[in-house]
Amino acid sequence: MLFFAILTVLPFAWMISTSFKSPSEVFDFPISWIPANPVWEHHQKIWTGSASFVPYYLNSLKVSLISTIGATVLSALAAYGFTKVTFKGRDTLFVFYIAMMMIPPQVLFVPKFIIFKWLGIFNTHWALILPGMITIFGVFMMRQFFLSIPNEISESAYIDGAGHARIFLQMMLPLAKPALATLAVIDFSWHWNDFENALVFLISRELYTVPLGLQNFILEYNVDYNGMMAAASAGILPMLVVFFIAQKFIIQGLSGTAVKG
Amino acid sequence: MRKKQFWVGYAFIAPNLLGVLLFFVIPAAVSAVLMFTDWQFASPVFHFVGFDNIKRLLHDEQFYTSLANTALFLASVPVSIALAFLVAVVLNRSVYLKSLLRALYFLPYITNGVAVAFVWMLLFQPKLGPINGLLRSIGIENPPGWLTSPDSVMAAIDIIWIWFMLGYNMIIYLAALQEISPELLEAAKMDGARKRQVVFRIMLPLVSPTTFMLLVTGLIMSIKTFGIFEALTQGGPGSSSLILSLYVYKTAFRYYEIGYAAAISWALFAVILFITAIQWFGQKKWVHY
Repeated sequence: MLFFAILTVLPFAWMISTSFKSPSEVFDFPISWIPANPVWEHHQKIWTGSASFVPYYLNSLKVSLISTIGATVLSALAAYGFTKVTFKGRDTLFVFYIAMMMIPPQVLFVPKFIIFKWLGIFNTHWALILPGMITIFGVFMMRQFFLSIPNEISESAYIDGAGHARIFLQMMLPLAKPALATLAVIDFSWHWNDFENALVFLISRELYTVPLGLQNFILEYNVDYNGMMAAASAGILPMLVVFFIAQKFIIQGLSGTAVKG
Repeated sequence: MRKKQFWVGYAFIAPNLLGVLLFFVIPAAVSAVLMFTDWQFASPVFHFVGFDNIKRLLHDEQFYTSLANTALFLASVPVSIALAFLVAVVLNRSVYLKSLLRALYFLPYITNGVAVAFVWMLLFQPKLGPINGLLRSIGIENPPGWLTSPDSVMAAIDIIWIWFMLGYNMIIYLAALQEISPELLEAAKMDGARKRQVVFRIMLPLVSPTTFMLLVTGLIMSIKTFGIFEALTQGGPGSSSLILSLYVYKTAFRYYEIGYAAAISWALFAVILFITAIQWFGQKKWVHY
C-alpha cells in the first residue's frame, strides 16, 4: 500500500527534483532523485526576471478569493431558502437546479462569450469572477448540511418572532461554519486550478491567471524542462499549503456529500 | 403567511437564481437557437439553416472519431473506481500512516491540471523519458511512443486520468467503509467468512450507493473535461486524442464555426443524458440501499 502511495507521489517528486537539476541531468536514467549540484536558478527565474509568475499569482489570488467569498455567501443564502423557508414551487425549482448541472460548459461557452461582450466584461477578471460566484454544487452541498439541522430549531425561533433574516444570520450561519469552510476550500481549489474558463474568456496577457501563465511558459520556453518543472511546482504550491492546513475539512466535506448524497 | 413566505423564500434564492439565469439558463437557450444557424464569429450576418448542422454532424468523420475517443477516455473512470475501492479497503485496515497516506493519494486531485500535464509530458517522453527508461531496463526494447503516437495516446491519457481521480475516489470510499458497522463484519468473520469474501460479498454491496454516485459524477465530470487534453496533446497526433468536448472548443474558438459548434455541444449533452439515464435505470440491479 505504501508502494502505491509512493507511486502516486513519484511524479511530484520527479517534478521537484528536476526543477533543481541542470539541463543535462533532466533525463538521467536511472533517475538521480537528489541532484548532485542543486541549481536554484530555475526557481529564481520563475519568481523574478522577465518570466516572473508574480503577476499571474496576484491575478489568480484576486479571482479565486472574490469568487470563493461570493460563491460561499450566495450558496448559503440559496440553500437556506431551499430548506428552511416553505413556499410554493420550491422543490420544482430545486430539481431544475440539479438538471442545470448536467449541461456541459461547452454548450454555454459561446453564449456566455456573447453575454460578456454585451455586459462589457469579456477579457476582464469579472468574466471569471461573476460566473464563479454561482455554483450549483455549492447550493447542493449547503442544502445537504441545512437538511441535517432539525427544522424544529428554526421553526420555534420563527414562532418566537424572529424573522428569517435573523434566524439565518444568528443561528444558521454560526452552526454552518464547518460546512462553509469546507465549501470555501473546495471552491478555492476549483478557481485556482480553472484553466478552461480562463482560456476562453481572457485574452490579454496581463490578466492571465496561473494555469494560463503556465501554458504560456511552455509555449515560450518549450525546451527549458527544468524551468517548466519549476513553474509547475510554483503553480501547485498554494494548493499544497491550503490542502495541508484544511485537509480535514476537504475530506469530510467531500465525503459528506457523496456518501450521504 | 403563505404569501409572505413565498417572497421571503425567493429573496434568499434570488441572488443565486439571477446568476443561474444569466450564466446557465439564458446561455443554454441562446445555444439552442445558434445550433440552427450558420453564424461564424467574424461575420455579423447569419441565416437559419434548419437541421443542416445536425445533418452535417451525422456525416462528420471527426465527430465519430471524437465520440470513440470519448468512450476510450471514459473507460478510465470505472478502472479508477475499482482501484480506489481496493486501496480504500487496505487503507481502512491499517492504522499506521493512514492520514499521511490519505493526503498523498489526494494530492493529484487538488493540483493544477496544466502543471500535471507538464510533468506527465516529460515522464512519457518517448526517447529519454523515465517511464520508457524503466521499460527498457526491464527488457522491453520498443516501448510505446505514448503521447506522440496515435496508437498509444489514449492509453497514456487514461493512465494519467486514473492517477488523477484515484485519490478522490479512494477518500470517498474510505468514508463509506467507515460507516459499515463493525458488528456486521465481526459476525461474518465468526461465521467463517474469508477475508476475500468479506470484502467482495459484504463490503462491496454495502458501499454500492457510493459506487453508483462515484460512477455518475465521475463520468459526467470526465466527459466535460478538455483542459488536460488541450494542455497535453491538443487532440493530436492527427485527431487521435480528439474528444467531444475538445472538438466543441476547437470548432468554436479555432475555426469560428459557432452554429456547428453549438450542434456538437448539444450532441455532447445528449451523450451525458444517455449515460446518466442508463445508469439511473440500471442501478436497481446492483445498488442496495
